Amino acid sequence: MASRYHQGGNVLSITVANVTKRFGTFTALDDVSLEISAGRLVALLGPSGSGKTTLLRIIAGLEFAESGAIRFDGQDISDRAAGERRVGFVFQHYALFRHMTVFENVAFGLRVRPRGERPTRQQIRDRVGDLLDLIQLRSQAGRYPSQLSGGQRQRVALARALAVEPRVLLLDEPFGALDAKVRQELRRWLRQLHDDVGVTSVFVTHDQEEALEVADQVAVMNQGRIVQVGTPDEVYNHPANSFVYNFLGNVNLFHGRVDNGMTYINQDATGDLIFARPHALEITRNANGPNHFRATTKHINAAGPLVKIEVITEWGAPVHIEMAQERFRDLALNKGEEVYIIPRDLAIFEATHGDFTPSR
Amino acid sequence: MVSALPGVSAPAVGEPAFVRRALIAVTVIFLGVFLFAPLAVIFASAFGQGVAAYFRSFQDPDTIAAIRLTLLAAAIAVPANVVFGVAAAWTIGKFEFVGKNVLISLIDLPFSVSPVVAGLIYVLLFGAQGVLGPWLTAHDIHIIFAVPGIVLATIFVTFPFVARELLPTMIAQGSDEEEASLTLGAGGWQTFMRVTLPNVRWALFYGVILCNARAMGEFGAVSVVSGHIRGLTNTMPLQIEVLYNDYQFVPAFAVASLLALLALATLVIKSFVEWRAGTTKEVTF
Repeated sequence: MASRYHQGGNVLSITVANVTKRFGTFTALDDVSLEISAGRLVALLGPSGSGKTTLLRIIAGLEFAESGAIRFDGQDISDRAAGERRVGFVFQHYALFRHMTVFENVAFGLRVRPRGERPTRQQIRDRVGDLLDLIQLRSQAGRYPSQLSGGQRQRVALARALAVEPRVLLLDEPFGALDAKVRQELRRWLRQLHDDVGVTSVFVTHDQEEALEVADQVAVMNQGRIVQVGTPDEVYNHPANSFVYNFLGNVNLFHGRVDNGMTYINQDATGDLIFARPHALEITRNANGPNHFRATTKHINAAGPLVKIEVITEWGAPVHIEMAQERFRDLALNKGEEVYIIPRDLAIFEATHGDFTPSR
Repeated sequence: MVSALPGVSAPAVGEPAFVRRALIAVTVIFLGVFLFAPLAVIFASAFGQGVAAYFRSFQDPDTIAAIRLTLLAAAIAVPANVVFGVAAAWTIGKFEFVGKNVLISLIDLPFSVSPVVAGLIYVLLFGAQGVLGPWLTAHDIHIIFAVPGIVLATIFVTFPFVARELLPTMIAQGSDEEEASLTLGAGGWQTFMRVTLPNVRWALFYGVILCNARAMGEFGAVSVVSGHIRGLTNTMPLQIEVLYNDYQFVPAFAVASLLALLALATLVIKSFVEWRAGTTKEVTF
């Protein structure tokens, strides 16, 4: 099956070694190193301006680093032009050739090959046909990009990138411009496609859900550095620092301090960082045990699988809590009610010279 | 639920009927007086003494020479400005560099300078009393009051058209498609020919049409450098003036009708270019 879409391309590993890139005075990448094993699907996850797209473009050969090296299978390709690297690049806004039909778009990479390496017309037609089957758009072959929906354009962009049998597939915010429903579908489709084709793939996203759902490995980036690399499970459940914890999901932040195994929450902004995910806080009517604080319910949003509740703590800070519909029905909460909050799981990051690292 | 207010059915941006009619009337009258009437006068006067007289106008050797010179000037100026315009628009549209805004202003310069001044620039540069005059005379090179001067003036006056048409398109399109082409293994020249140029082809075509129309119709700048030597340095617009001043109305309007026809053809081609939109192509495997 895989060979049908990916005949000659050997799957390879990518090494990013101490790459630094500046734009004027702005440091987009600061001594970044990353190892991507052959055949993996890796997400570069970070907020805007974290350098993730720049890193992707440097791997592709669309930007060049000031220092450091990019290696494919150990071979230094830092100075090679984009066209010589045999990478498939999928652009955020698709960048389809607007004056060409879907068919011509997908065929482009084959048609521009030097005469000796160029497939015959029939071979091109067969290969494009296969790829259009893969993206289920064979019937749209004669259409222009402007006549397609966003999801269809994205699939054409993918087919176009795959047509040249890339050794590496790079995707820049592949689903960023799509609506939620289509995005969900395409995500699963991309994962499936990667499993079928098996090409080493890197995609950039600012959506943690997307990264955690699709990727084998997630590299979390912030301010031009890679903060943590790991499986989705590792980065989510064992965040390297407060930034990763904060970025990988909704959080409530409490300031406080840890003393002798006891956690004290207070509103003072110095000391350690104490986080709680919305689902790790429990609302009860009666306080048993010492671990609780008081709050008043302010907003209740019961639409969706989880009920989202905003409470105001006794010291006046808003806190977001999520609970299952059943639990919400059992509690029969009302707006403006006085309740007790029991933290079930807190993530504590101690203030150690500026960085907050986990305290375990 | 959203529901319309009862009893309100007029469009939100609706003017009373008399306002609309008045606006349309003003437009039609204005067009009639300033566009259609002059055009009609040109053709009426040209054919005033019959079709034979009209065609006889084009047998005058001076007129033939003027038409030739106009075609020659356009044939040099238009390709020169296509090359320059594409290069300038490409540089400005796809790259960031210091002095970009200065370059854009410079491209517009011929639009903001009076054509007479444009002609004078060349006289002051290449004329007998000009900066380079003595050197040119010594080497027996004739620019002013000769064909090269006319070509130079035409190039100067028509030089923003292609670049100006291409620039907005190129800037709007960015360089994503070029980057995509490069990652797919295409070289720089292939990318330019297969992606950049086809993407701007209609803007380019439009620019060429406008550039050509102006190249053939330019009067002021060419008039200054021409010297009005009949049969040698008169272009069509200059020849029209000469004929008219000689009270040769039929030949004057006959030549004018050629320029008017060129303008009409330009309009037709322009409409065709704008009408032509992307349609579905049949692809067979």
